[in-house]
Amino acid sequence: MSITLDQVTKQYQGNPVVNDVSLAVAEGEFFVLLGPSGSGKSTLLRAIAGLTAADHGRIALFGRDVTQVSAREREVGFVFQNYALFRHMTVGENIEFALRVRRVKPAERARRRKELLELIGLPGMDDRLPTQLSGGQQQRVAVARALAHKPKVLLLDEPFGALDAKIREELRRTIRSVQRELGITTVLVTHDQEEAFALGDRLGVMNFGRLLETGRPTELYTRPATRFVATFLGAANLLLRREARSGSDLAPAGPEAQTDSPLRDRRDQEVVAMLRPEEAELAPDRDALRTTFLGYGHVEELQFTGALERLRIRMGLEGAARSSDGETSAMPPVWIDVTRTQPEQRAFPLASGQLVAVGTRRIHVLPTPLSSFTVCAESRESAARLMENPWLVDLTIRMQTRLSAQVEPLVAKDGASPVVAPAGVAVVTAGPDCPARVRRLLARGVTPVLCLPEDAAPPSRVIVHFAGQVARRATLAVTASLLRHVPAEAVFLGILPGDSSERTRTAGLRQLLDVRSEAQAGHGLDVRTELRLGERIEELLRELEAQPGQMLILGLPEPGSLPDSFEALLTQSPGWSVLLA
Amino acid sequence: MQAVSGFRQPSVLPGFGLTLGFATFFLSAIVLLPLAALVLKTASMSWAEFLEVVLSPRALASYRLSFGASLVAALINTVFGFIVAWTLVRYDFPGRKILDAMIDMPFALPTAVSGIALTAVFAENGWIGQYLEPYGIKVAYTWLGVTVALTLIGLPFVVRSVQPSLLEVQRDLEDAAETLGATPLYIFRRIIFPTVVPALASGFTLAFARGIGEYGSVIFIAGNLPMKTEITPLLIVIKLEEFDYNGAAALGFVMLAMSFVMLLSINLVQAWARRGVVAARR
Repeated sequence: MSITLDQVTKQYQGNPVVNDVSLAVAEGEFFVLLGPSGSGKSTLLRAIAGLTAADHGRIALFGRDVTQVSAREREVGFVFQNYALFRHMTVGENIEFALRVRRVKPAERARRRKELLELIGLPGMDDRLPTQLSGGQQQRVAVARALAHKPKVLLLDEPFGALDAKIREELRRTIRSVQRELGITTVLVTHDQEEAFALGDRLGVMNFGRLLETGRPTELYTRPATRFVATFLGAANLLLRREARSGSDLAPAGPEAQTDSPLRDRRDQEVVAMLRPEEAELAPDRDALRTTFLGYGHVEELQFTGALERLRIRMGLEGAARSSDGETSAMPPVWIDVTRTQPEQRAFPLASGQLVAVGTRRIHVLPTPLSSFTVCAESRESAARLMENPWLVDLTIRMQTRLSAQVEPLVAKDGASPVVAPAGVAVVTAGPDCPARVRRLLARGVTPVLCLPEDAAPPSRVIVHFAGQVARRATLAVTASLLRHVPAEAVFLGILPGDSSERTRTAGLRQLLDVRSEAQAGHGLDVRTELRLGERIEELLRELEAQPGQMLILGLPEPGSLPDSFEALLTQSPGWSVLLA
Repeated sequence: MQAVSGFRQPSVLPGFGLTLGFATFFLSAIVLLPLAALVLKTASMSWAEFLEVVLSPRALASYRLSFGASLVAALINTVFGFIVAWTLVRYDFPGRKILDAMIDMPFALPTAVSGIALTAVFAENGWIGQYLEPYGIKVAYTWLGVTVALTLIGLPFVVRSVQPSLLEVQRDLEDAAETLGATPLYIFRRIIFPTVVPALASGFTLAFARGIGEYGSVIFIAGNLPMKTEITPLLIVIKLEEFDYNGAAALGFVMLAMSFVMLLSINLVQAWARRGVVAARR
């Protein structure tokens, strides 16, 4: 591996900008770090170069630990968005800079300069001043300058950001061919997915300082694991879908759709499905569709964009994501974005307002256990209060999912018809009645359950603890899914009895590390581990009381039941939220 | 583009003729006319009289002190002014804003006040003077005092010229140089310094020019011993008090000529050095 990152973390004023990122880039690989602005991708690149010191974690280049090594001695080439050429030096002097610093002989310097200018397609430009060149040419010079000292790694920070579309594409081609020719390990940072697809052998998508997923472009595009990656890499319709125990009318797209917990079989399962706009088919009616029928809808918007036609379809009641639960539903009407090619447009011309049948060529079910949120309360008032919690609202928007409410009495009255089990994550108010609420939900097979104080704020730290190993897999999936939407640091907390023997401690530590590697392998999530000795509940309470604004993700020892001793975690909570999985 | 006239393409705003006329008139009335009068006054002397005044030993000693002390003070200011500007631009520390505001104090203070204050501090029994005294260093009433006074009033010129150009040096340039293997010293020498040199030179020129013309602050600390601590402006005042207007005008003319030659040559050197940068900015 030429670049190895291990739990690299960087904080600015207490906020993690880069949060526990672990990554390995192979030799000669072109790796693209993709993410929205502020996702920490540039900070991570600067950390690799040594321009920014990491607060935590290790960075290795070609097996050599460089965490404490200065940028000067890391032997990397770095290209900046605004070129950063030395304006008082000529192009030739700029390129020779690294060689001059290394006291290379003039003859050798001149030879290398000529070679590099030819490589970037600007031969004979030695004596120009940088400002006499166009933006694209300047960035080429910057690339040549970064390569002069034959670095083992080339790092590019949004190198096309300041250029217009045409030059961008030209330079993109140059950089790709230079990279291939030299076989140099390259990491490029961008927010442009088209650029990422065009250049990267492999992509890594970052958000909130976390590296969410890595993979080949096609892999990530067709089978993303997270909502964020699904919607960031191209357009995507995210649909909520209830699946009956015995499969569903919606064909699952991959093995991820298979249920992995026996507990899930006890109720209808809600999943998040991704439909790419180009994978939708439109037809006059259901029978004319050649693909799986999704529902009827009206054309609400129609845009001609050249090669493609963009449509926005407002789905009718037969729509895919109809909500069938409880009394109230905050779900907005469902729109589906569709793109059609010219031949498709010719075969079935459409006008605004027309009724169409929508079919799906390919649907991908995201492996996330957090599909939507349902607030469960005894009264409308308390449901409304919880639904207004800014953090919950924010989380729902971030996950692009539904927040609904279900009101029913704490103790079921005789003769009252049983209400359908709430979909997705059940949210209840923390407090004295919380254990009873949780038990009632667990008994009906509802997991996960989120106990939220009405005034809960976004957590700054998430503690993950497994009280038993049975539900470990499910808890891990919940943890991974939640952490992708929460900009907080997280820690796996293992707790062993205070009087445990040396052997038990070793075993406990190993188990904790197993969890970490499982999270890494299964979810691409890296989380720190900590081990405590003492009584489980006491230790958890001490940890939660240590600082405000924390959240606990608790893996229950027995699926579907809440031990009495755990009640203290739910009732004593003044400021923390607990997610039971 | 077709070259219509020798003038630079006028801006879209009208009034070129008006503004040029106004600028020329003001320059003439306020700067050129008095200077011309000075030259005319001098011209009424005969060559012998003129030479006798301007080449008298007392006059020669005063030139040496005026130009020498100004030069030393401007050099000191170039070094320390750069350091002050660097500190103000590059670091954030409590009281930075206050320090930044204090830089301008010598601009606002009546020069006589700074002179008296400096004399009080550097006199043999002053706050600093009493500690220098045992080492045989005398500041007040020596040429050292003159230099100190000129340094004080020249400092803001250097700091204020350098500050903007230091702000302009992009952090990215330093980062780039660092990834290319340059040491901090090398980065300073080859990247930061070259971009600051033009500003530093103009700061030096301003401080130097100000030093030559300074009168108020110097006469208090200089002691004004003829041949030793007498600056040329003071000598002119003395001539005026003796109603020797011709002598005063002759000395003034010499100062004018020497200042002009020196400032012109500094500007030429600067323009030559800046040529690369100007071409780069175009």
